[in-house]
Amino acid sequence: MSFYVIVSYGYLLMLLIVATTGIACYKKLGISFKILTIATIISMITALLAIVSVKVIKTNAPVLHVEALSEYIFYSLIYYHLFNGRGVKNGIILSIIIVSVLSVINALIWQPFTSEFPTYMNLVTLASLAVFSLLLFRQMLLCPSKTPILKQGVFWYNTAIIFYSTTLFLQIGLSNVFKKNAGVDALVFYLWFVILYIFTILTGIAIVADSKENRKVHAI
Amino acid sequence: MRYENIQVLVLSTAMLFTVVIGFIVYFVILYRSRQERNEQEQQELKSAFEQELLKTRIEMQEQTLAYISREIHDNITQVLSFVKLNLGMIPVADENVRAKIGENRELVAQTISDLRNLSKSLSYDYITAHGLVKTIETEAERINSSGLIDALLFVDGDIYSIGAERELVLFRIFQEALNNALKYSSAKHLKITLQYHPDLFNLTLEDDGVGFSPDLINNSKGLGLKNIHNRAALIGAAATIYSSQGNGCRINITLNPSHKGLYTNGNHSNSIG
Repeated sequence: MSFYVIVSYGYLLMLLIVATTGIACYKKLGISFKILTIATIISMITALLAIVSVKVIKTNAPVLHVEALSEYIFYSLIYYHLFNGRGVKNGIILSIIIVSVLSVINALIWQPFTSEFPTYMNLVTLASLAVFSLLLFRQMLLCPSKTPILKQGVFWYNTAIIFYSTTLFLQIGLSNVFKKNAGVDALVFYLWFVILYIFTILTGIAIVADSKENRKVHAI
Repeated sequence: MRYENIQVLVLSTAMLFTVVIGFIVYFVILYRSRQERNEQEQQELKSAFEQELLKTRIEMQEQTLAYISREIHDNITQVLSFVKLNLGMIPVADENVRAKIGENRELVAQTISDLRNLSKSLSYDYITAHGLVKTIETEAERINSSGLIDALLFVDGDIYSIGAERELVLFRIFQEALNNALKYSSAKHLKITLQYHPDLFNLTLEDDGVGFSPDLINNSKGLGLKNIHNRAALIGAAATIYSSQGNGCRINITLNPSHKGLYTNGNHSNSIG
């Protein structure tokens, strides 16, 4: 069993744990974290399909095209429910429509889904998510809640997204730089998995924190 | 070349990770300070609201007391004076009946005198006109004449004014403490001490009654005791209550006469009186 397969299955296992946790406390979760649980399940399915796709058609590019779009829609919808301002909410809906259209065009024309990875769309969606994350941090500072920050699901989710969007942005940049350098290319590839591992752990913490936070609210 | 590339990769990744972690740590610190500031602001708002509520309650109470005082003075005592006059005008030949009428006239006169004293202790005007010491003295005399308790008043230092509103609140605290002593303490003696020092005013009430558990002070049942604390806070004074089962009670109100409480400035929109 190659190292790639081990880290892939490890990632799948991690997604499975987070998704199971989310399902177990689904009723206690706020709407945003219910969406996060669904997004984790979708990520798990796409990760599984990516492994199968590599075995069957020797590339996982088509799955990554679908994954890039679905992730953006789900994470943006979470932000839609976390923001208070009507303007930002409208902006998120508009961005989902634009990204969906661009993803289709990208998959058909600029980066054909059969052979190329959707890096252009990744750059757009990651930049967009980073902006949402910073805006939510700003909103949190303007209206701080009484709950300690480390016990807030929103904080952990936002931390996960700022980490994911900025580091993956770097990873995509580095993979372009080291495209033809076989040894370094592998390191960049494993860096991608490190990012995914940390991101999944952070989303898991976010789900647990939100379920505990809501339980306290119900108890009150 | 490959080694240099790895160096670039490691450095850039490490730098970004550090920046992201630094940002999160900075955010957490900033957020916590905002939380603390918010909590402090909410506490201040709550405190201001409670002060406002207490001030309103005191104003209402003062209005009611002033009304009762006026009614006693202008109506009840006048009627009783008329009754006394009428009793004196009854033509009676029988000595026994005359003696009875005389006794009743004395009783009515005593009642008029008691009511006038009560009216004075309720009246805001009387307290402001005569000052705290004289008003407490009158009240102590009234209690002594009732025979319910033996009250002793001690005044230490040169008497100075601490402001009409504050003196009124102090007198109401005194009345609250006195009422508590009469109703619950079964005390025989009450020692009232007023200390006028240049930088410190002190009002102490000490009884030799049954006392009570210190827990009662923080208990919601001890509403009278809480009122003492709240009223004292309203004029920037500190109230300390010492008591234990079987050892009487001592209530101490300390005030810095030069320090103006939040609602004691007459020009302040929230000033009482």
